[in-house]
Amino acid sequence: MLQTTIAQGPAPTVFLAGEMDLDCADTLREAVAEAARGAQMVVLDFAGVEFIDSSGTGIFVRLCLDMKSQGTPLLARNLSPAVRGVFEMLRVPELVGEDVFQS
Amino acid sequence: MVDAAAGSPVSLQVYRYTQGDSVVRPVIGEIEDDLPQEELVAHASEALTSGTFMCFAVSQADDFVADELCFVPQDDHCDILSIRTNGWQRHHGDHRRSLVEILNNLAAAVACGKLRVLDADQVAAETAAGEQVLHFDIRQSAELTTAREAVDDVLREAGFDDATRKRTTLCISEAVTNMLLHGGGHGGMTLRRLEDRLRVVVADHGPGLNFLNWIEPPKAKGPASMGYGFKIILDYLDAVGLSTGPSGTTLLLDRMTTT
Repeated sequence: MLQTTIAQGPAPTVFLAGEMDLDCADTLREAVAEAARGAQMVVLDFAGVEFIDSSGTGIFVRLCLDMKSQGTPLLARNLSPAVRGVFEMLRVPELVGEDVFQS
Repeated sequence: MVDAAAGSPVSLQVYRYTQGDSVVRPVIGEIEDDLPQEELVAHASEALTSGTFMCFAVSQADDFVADELCFVPQDDHCDILSIRTNGWQRHHGDHRRSLVEILNNLAAAVACGKLRVLDADQVAAETAAGEQVLHFDIRQSAELTTAREAVDDVLREAGFDDATRKRTTLCISEAVTNMLLHGGGHGGMTLRRLEDRLRVVVADHGPGLNFLNWIEPPKAKGPASMGYGFKIILDYLDAVGLSTGPSGTTLLLDRMTTT
């Protein structure tokens, strides 16, 4: 199960914790929508993500593309090596743009 | 642009030629009436004799990316993978990987021995090998989480490092998620211990893998296509077995315990 915590501010951040799989879509979308109100961008902090599979990855990619087209792009930070490995295998940086990933 | 969902099917068929036979038989898909049996048998015999993987491009007038026919010799038989694109090339430019590329990855995995396509006898033997360690009936993703954690515990006890455990449970997640989405919505996940490996069997009685549903346009909040899942499974596991047909799909996910 995915848990989210929102830190509002000039760069609102959604802290993600737990598992990103088939079930995470609604939780992730609702949290990002709430954080995005009136914001110019939203940061997703992956530090607490213990597990992600291709369903979770697909949901993230879809959301990234949707938010970019709505003018409120996402930034992703604090990816663990496991999450980074899955994203690189599935070419996520190519799909959503390298600029989504903060170093 | 060709609409893949509305157009002719893109398909992967697997036939098997056993040394000495005069015909090939289906392992995935059906044998069509117009299948050039003699030609297939001749090429399969040649691949077996030479012990060499052979791949042919079968061009069609309206197809920039040719269909492919791959012959993979294995002991006393030769598996023949037929990839038909029917003029379909790439998906609509969204984030999905090309289906042709996915099928080519599958063919390459068979060629290099990572993926074995199993017939009914092989499935029966391989799913009964070794001793059963865990079994879960799975109908929803919350149960998948429980199963994943139970397998992780066994892997930890077996001495696998963190990265290997993560990769293994990820592959289980991919296989079970596919089962929940496309395999009739429920099925079983069994962990078995064999002499040289741990084997996870993911089996359903769904309609069989439909390669077209790998390239459905993405839903607003839906998951990624199974093409991603298979890429992960083939990259991260030591050996994979696949059987699929109208009475269900079985995947064997193997992690070697000895090197």
